[in-house]
Amino acid sequence: MKTHNGRILTICIIATIVALAICVQFVRIQNMPVAQQILDDSKAYQGVTQLVYPNRGNIYDAKGRLLAGNETTYEVGLDLNAIVQPETVAKAVSDVMGMDYDKVLAYATTEPGNGNPFYIQLDGFVSPEKIMQFEALVEEYANKKLGRNEIRPRLNGLMWTPHNKRSYPEKTTGSNVLGFYKYLDRTQGMGYFGVEETYNTLLAGTPQMVYTAFDPQKLSMLEEIPPGADIELTFNREIQAMAEQELDEAIEWSGAKGGTILIYNPKNGEIIAMANTPRLDPNEYWNYAELFPNPEPFNPTISKTYEPGSVFKAITVAIALDSGAIEKDTVYSDDGSYEISGVEIRNWDFGAYGDVDMTDCLRYSLNTCLAWMAEEIGPDNFYSYLKAFGFDRNTGIDLGGETHWPLKLPGDSNWYDIDLATNAFGQGISVTPIQMAMATGAIANEGKMYVPHIVKAVIIDGKRYEVDPVLAGTPISADTAKKVTEMLTETLMDESYENAYIDGYTFAGKTGTGQIPTEYGYTNPLTNASFVGWGPSEDPQVVVYVWMQEPTRDIWGSQIAAPIFSKVVEKLVVLMDIPPDSIRLGENATLQVLESGE
Amino acid sequence: MSTTTQPPAYKQAPWRRQIQIVGAFMLVLVIVATIAGLYLSISGRAAAAGRRIQQLEMRENTLNLEINDLRSHLAKISSSIALNERIGSLNMQTIDPHTAIYLEVPGYSPDLRKGIEQAPLPEAPKPQLSPEYTSSLWDWLREKIWTISPNLTENPNEAQP
Repeated sequence: MKTHNGRILTICIIATIVALAICVQFVRIQNMPVAQQILDDSKAYQGVTQLVYPNRGNIYDAKGRLLAGNETTYEVGLDLNAIVQPETVAKAVSDVMGMDYDKVLAYATTEPGNGNPFYIQLDGFVSPEKIMQFEALVEEYANKKLGRNEIRPRLNGLMWTPHNKRSYPEKTTGSNVLGFYKYLDRTQGMGYFGVEETYNTLLAGTPQMVYTAFDPQKLSMLEEIPPGADIELTFNREIQAMAEQELDEAIEWSGAKGGTILIYNPKNGEIIAMANTPRLDPNEYWNYAELFPNPEPFNPTISKTYEPGSVFKAITVAIALDSGAIEKDTVYSDDGSYEISGVEIRNWDFGAYGDVDMTDCLRYSLNTCLAWMAEEIGPDNFYSYLKAFGFDRNTGIDLGGETHWPLKLPGDSNWYDIDLATNAFGQGISVTPIQMAMATGAIANEGKMYVPHIVKAVIIDGKRYEVDPVLAGTPISADTAKKVTEMLTETLMDESYENAYIDGYTFAGKTGTGQIPTEYGYTNPLTNASFVGWGPSEDPQVVVYVWMQEPTRDIWGSQIAAPIFSKVVEKLVVLMDIPPDSIRLGENATLQVLESGE
Repeated sequence: MSTTTQPPAYKQAPWRRQIQIVGAFMLVLVIVATIAGLYLSISGRAAAAGRRIQQLEMRENTLNLEINDLRSHLAKISSSIALNERIGSLNMQTIDPHTAIYLEVPGYSPDLRKGIEQAPLPEAPKPQLSPEYTSSLWDWLREKIWTISPNLTENPNEAQP
C-alpha cells in the first residue's frame, strides 16, 4: 500500500512539474521580444482595414430627373494564391477582355510572396457585359461533360469585384453646368468644373477607415458609410435640351464661332437653362483637352468676357432714369454726332434722327443719345450704379470658374473721358453673359437683383435642405424698373424689331452689336451679336440672354440674335406653361364666365 | 493512570473514499463540461449570426449597386436624347404654341410638386441582439445577478423620498 501511494505521489509530482514547466514556457514565449512582433503580424490575419469611399451623390434637375448618377463597373484581378490553371485563366481573360494572352499568363504564373504581389489588378473598369461572359464560362466549365482523363477547366483565382463609376445619362446636355468627375482615379478622383467641382465635398461624402474583422463574432466592427449628398438643380432638362438644340441650329445658320443662351429667373436668381458651345460628354471626360484647347473656357457664360454693345443701353437708361438725369419723355436732339473730349461719337448707321424721346433713343439704338445721357448722369454716379449692378465683381454663381473683367473707373490709369460715353452703349466695357443677365434681372424684377444660382436643394440622409435666394442688391427703384420695361416693351413691338417678335406674348428686349477690339482698335470686321429680353412684360418670369460670337451671316444683333431669342421664347413659354397674353391677361373674365356656369 | 490514543471506532472503507473522490472529480468535470458545452453552443450561434449579418451586408451592397444601375438605366432610356429619338421614330411632333388650347381650371395650381422633395426615410429598426450574442457567459451571469439583487434589497411598495 505504501509503495502504491509512493508511485501516485511520484506521478503527481512529475505531472505538476510538467504543468509548471508548460506554464513557465507560456509566460516565457509571451514575453519574448519576438512575441510583440508576432502579435502585430497576427492583426493582418484578424481582419482588414481599408479606406471606404461613399457612393457619390446624385445630381437631379428641377423635376427630379437624374443628370449624374452611378453605375456598376468591375475590377478584374488575379488572386495568385488561388490560381490552379493559369492557362485557362489567361485564355479566358484574353478572349473576354482582349488582353494579351502571354502577358496574362505571365501574371498568372507569378509566384506570390517574396516581394511578389498576392493580387494583380488587370483592369479597374470592366463592363457588366464582360463579367457576364466570365460567369457564363464558369457555368460552362462546371457543367462540362468530361472525357476520360480530361481535367475540368477552372477559373479559380480570377476575381471580379463590383464598384461604382460616375454616369451621365444625358451625355452632353447641360455638361457645361454639371462639370465632370474623374472617375478613373478611384482614390484621388474629384469633380472638375460646374456643380461637380463646386459641390465636390458634399457630393463625395466623407471617406472612412473601416476595419472588417474576419471573426464573425465581432459584430460591432460592421460599419455603415453614409453616401454623399444628392443635389437638385434649378435648371430644367427639357428647357436646357431645347436651348442647346436651338443654339446648335443657330450656330450652323449664322456661321458663328460659338454662342450662349442663358435663361434666368429674375424673381429668385435660379438658372433655368444655360446652353453653351462646345459641350463635352462627361462620360468621356478625357476628351476635355481636345475640345477645350487653352484658353477656351469650359463654360463661356460665366468665364468669357466680351464687349456687349447696345444691350448695355438698357442698363444705362435705367441708371439715367433712376438718378433723375432724364425722364421718360425727355427730348434729345440728335444731329448724328456727339463730341466728348474731342472724340466724335456717331450712330450705328451714321444717321441723324432729330428730336427723339428716350424711348426712341432705345428704339433707334442711338449711340449719340446714350453718350449724352452718360454725361448727364455724371461719371461718379454712372460708375457707382455700375458697381451696384455688379459689373465690378463676380456674380457669385455657385459654379466653378467664374471670372469678370475689371471695371475701369475714373482715376484709373487706363480710364479716359471717352470711356464714359462708350461704356454707356456697351463698348470699352467687358462683361460675362451671367453678369448681364443678373443686372437685367433687376430691371425685370422691380429693381431687386438676385445672385444667380444653380442648386435648388441639397438632400442629405433623405432630408431636403432648400437653398434660399440671395439678394445681390437693389440698384434701381421699382418705378424705374417698370419704366424701362415699358419702354423696351414698346420698342420691341416696333417693326424694326420684328425678328424678336413673339406672337401672342409681350416681352421687353434690346438688341446688341458689340464691336470686337484688337490691338489696333476696333478693326475686326466681325461682331458679337446679342439680345436680352424679359417677360411677359406685366410680370416677367424669365430673362433670356442670347450671345452669338462672331457670326458670319450678318453682323447685327437684330438680324442674328433677335430671331434666335424669338424662337427660344416661343418654345420656352410652352415648356414653362406660360399662356399667351389673351389667356393670361383675360384670366379674370374667363374665370367669371366659368364660375357663372356660362 | 496513563492515557493512550484510541483509533476511531470506525473508518470509511477505502473504496467508499475513492468513490467520493471520483464522484467529486466527476461532478466538477460534468459542471466544467456543461459550462464549456453551453459556451460552445452560444459561441457557435453568435458566429452563425455574425456570418449571416456579413452576408446580409454584402447583399445590401449588391442591392445598392443594382439600385444605382437601374436608376442610371432608367435615366438613360428616358433621357432627352433617347426621348427625342423615340418621338422621331413615332412620327410625333412638338407642340406649336399657336395651336395650343388653354383651359382655365379654377383652383388649379400648376406644379405643386417641389422637385424631388422626399419625406425623411423611415429609419430601419436596429437589430436587437440578445445578450447571448454579444456578451460572454460571465458577463451574462453577472448581469443576471445584478438584475436580481435590487429586487432582493428594495421593497417596491416602500415610499420613495
